[in-house]
Amino acid sequence: MNKPVIALFPEASFGSALNCVGIAQQLQRQGAMPVFICHQGFTGVFDEYGFKEYQLPASPKATSQRTEETWQAFINAHLEHFNQDPTTQLQTYVRPTWDAIVDSAIHAEKGLESLIKRIRPDAFVLDNVIMFPAIANAGVPWTRVVSCAETEIPDPAVPPYLSGMAADDPERGHFEAAYLEATAPAHRRYNAFRRRRGLAALPPGRFLETSPHLNLLLAPEAVRYQRQHPLPEDLFVFLEGCVREEAQFDPPPLPVNDEPIIYLSFGSLGAIDTELIGRMIEVFATFPARFFVNVGGFIESYQKVPDNVYLGSWFPQPSIVAQADLFIHHGGNNSFCEALYYGVPSLIMPYCWDGHDNGLRAAQTGTGIHMQRDTWTPEQLCDAMLTLLHDKSLRERMLRISRHMTKANGASMAASSILRALGQ
Amino acid sequence: MMRTRSNTRQNHLKLARRIIEVALERGMNRGDHLPETTLSEACGVSRTPIRSALKLLESNDIVLRREEGGYFLNHSPEEIGINGISRLDDMEGSLAARILSDRAERRITDVQSVSALVRRYNVPRSAVLNALKILSIDGVVAQLPGRAWAFQPLLDTPNALAESLSFRLALEPQAITAPGFDMDSQKAGLLRQQMEDFLRRRDGSMSSVEFLHLDCAFHSLIAESSGNRFVCGALLAHQRLRLTTQKDHSIPDFRLRQSLEEHLDILDSLERMQHQLAADQMVLHLRRSQIRKPQAVNRGLLPLARKGMA
Repeated sequence: MNKPVIALFPEASFGSALNCVGIAQQLQRQGAMPVFICHQGFTGVFDEYGFKEYQLPASPKATSQRTEETWQAFINAHLEHFNQDPTTQLQTYVRPTWDAIVDSAIHAEKGLESLIKRIRPDAFVLDNVIMFPAIANAGVPWTRVVSCAETEIPDPAVPPYLSGMAADDPERGHFEAAYLEATAPAHRRYNAFRRRRGLAALPPGRFLETSPHLNLLLAPEAVRYQRQHPLPEDLFVFLEGCVREEAQFDPPPLPVNDEPIIYLSFGSLGAIDTELIGRMIEVFATFPARFFVNVGGFIESYQKVPDNVYLGSWFPQPSIVAQADLFIHHGGNNSFCEALYYGVPSLIMPYCWDGHDNGLRAAQTGTGIHMQRDTWTPEQLCDAMLTLLHDKSLRERMLRISRHMTKANGASMAASSILRALGQ
Repeated sequence: MMRTRSNTRQNHLKLARRIIEVALERGMNRGDHLPETTLSEACGVSRTPIRSALKLLESNDIVLRREEGGYFLNHSPEEIGINGISRLDDMEGSLAARILSDRAERRITDVQSVSALVRRYNVPRSAVLNALKILSIDGVVAQLPGRAWAFQPLLDTPNALAESLSFRLALEPQAITAPGFDMDSQKAGLLRQQMEDFLRRRDGSMSSVEFLHLDCAFHSLIAESSGNRFVCGALLAHQRLRLTTQKDHSIPDFRLRQSLEEHLDILDSLERMQHQLAADQMVLHLRRSQIRKPQAVNRGLLPLARKGMA
């Protein structure tokens, strides 16, 4: 019998891409043939893990020089927006981002359609925030992976998506209205595109429907919301995180080498803010710990690195988080889930998207501390790190969460659920 | 005086490394006896320096001394092959290694005065000068007019890694196809065995640091086998630089295995004297070894590729 071909299509972000690697590793182990559909720029990333890749055709306009110029313009425009509150960001960051997402979906459609004819998959795994009509129209089951925070699936008892507020916040109505207003132009264009491709329009503010076959959510029990309308168990599976198997990381010896390990990563986008990371490194120099700091593509911006700090452009995150005593991150859902999976407390400094939601959720559930990225003092940063390193009851709670999550093995559960939905 | 002591120590380190090679070539195992006379004959030196080298190995836990029994291997050949040699490499001019590591980790800037290094490491001026001389042999530092020393580019950033790969892509196939390529079959056999042992490890236990040592050893073997002396010299110096300063070498297990299998395929071709095929395989191997992760990503934007991505 032929192995079922499962085409995984993550959005062009490291969180989704590597989350899908974890699922693909388990699909392969359970007898399927996972392949990846990838955006330009991600070619080779999945091949390194041993998976076949199909790249979406590149736009003829997309030269490397043009991409670099776009990124420089993005950095110039958005760096200051990273310090804004979620409501203000709706106009400055969320609105243009949805515009760009819709553009990318429209652009991808034709190439995706012809790729699907080539691959002829038995099923899709879509880890994205928008539907690509070519997938809905392909005539095979598709699984939606919600690798963002649980807030992506709305409910009256769950905070509004990207709001960073509590579910019962008195400003909720105001935020929801502002979100709809900010996303309306992109939404109108997207719905028109859907209709042209034979799909029904979606309600305001929604860009991706739930799958009629299977929906997977990363949200672990420890941080999950009590929903007013529980999600039907036959269609929604909570994975308890979804951690991939990754290369072993051997922490290099530092001149100061006998203190707890603190890992900092704000993701490849957060690494743009070298001023913030530079300020933090100045504080780290005074703190009794070893710091491993992901500075992404900006390592050349740093000089005179303290003896207890090590900078890297890339870390195999699951391996270093497993060895860390504290994880400072931006609230990206994969980072948050990996911290929980390995029982490591989080110090979250969000700058956009669902990082705001996870920052608040970490504080609400006692799994970490939520800190504004631009208003802290060195004393406050040190106090937060000391609290998270030395709170015994927090340690015990984190260990319990870790035991529960590792036992559940979310990546394996994802693979078996996908194959079950396929009737395998 | 300091210089003489340092040179003697360097010689003992070289001899210690040769003793490990002899033990591995002869297929010795943990607990096997290392007779001084045999080693003296194999290394072509008297028993006195052999004894000093064995003491160095003993201080690194690589061999064990038994009263009235002499020296015995204290580890399995696999452990000695990678860890033992790297431990000796670390010892070699340890101040030089610390300075290099601090520069690669951006703890010190690219121009340094001897006085600043004396203050940072709290060692005599002569020790700093000696360390800088060791580093200058490989061209890692160069003395500027006056008293300052300048570091040359290291493999400490993704951009530097991309440039390193371009440099190797230009030279390593040439190293193979230049007339006079001659590979030491004993060394090649030993390396093959170490790579095959490494491949037998389970996923999740393949250390990237150990892989880097194996990788540099393989590419150094190619370099030193070249019939073109300039290509050989440039590549050997570059591999030493990789070994001491290359960062960000965390590679997924799949690619790590694939990379070692590519090494073995190249060795196969070389052993069959198919040099052009081996050179072509080297091009493929180096192209596949490029960092493929984009530099930055954001929803809706084309990912920002790294410099040098093919």
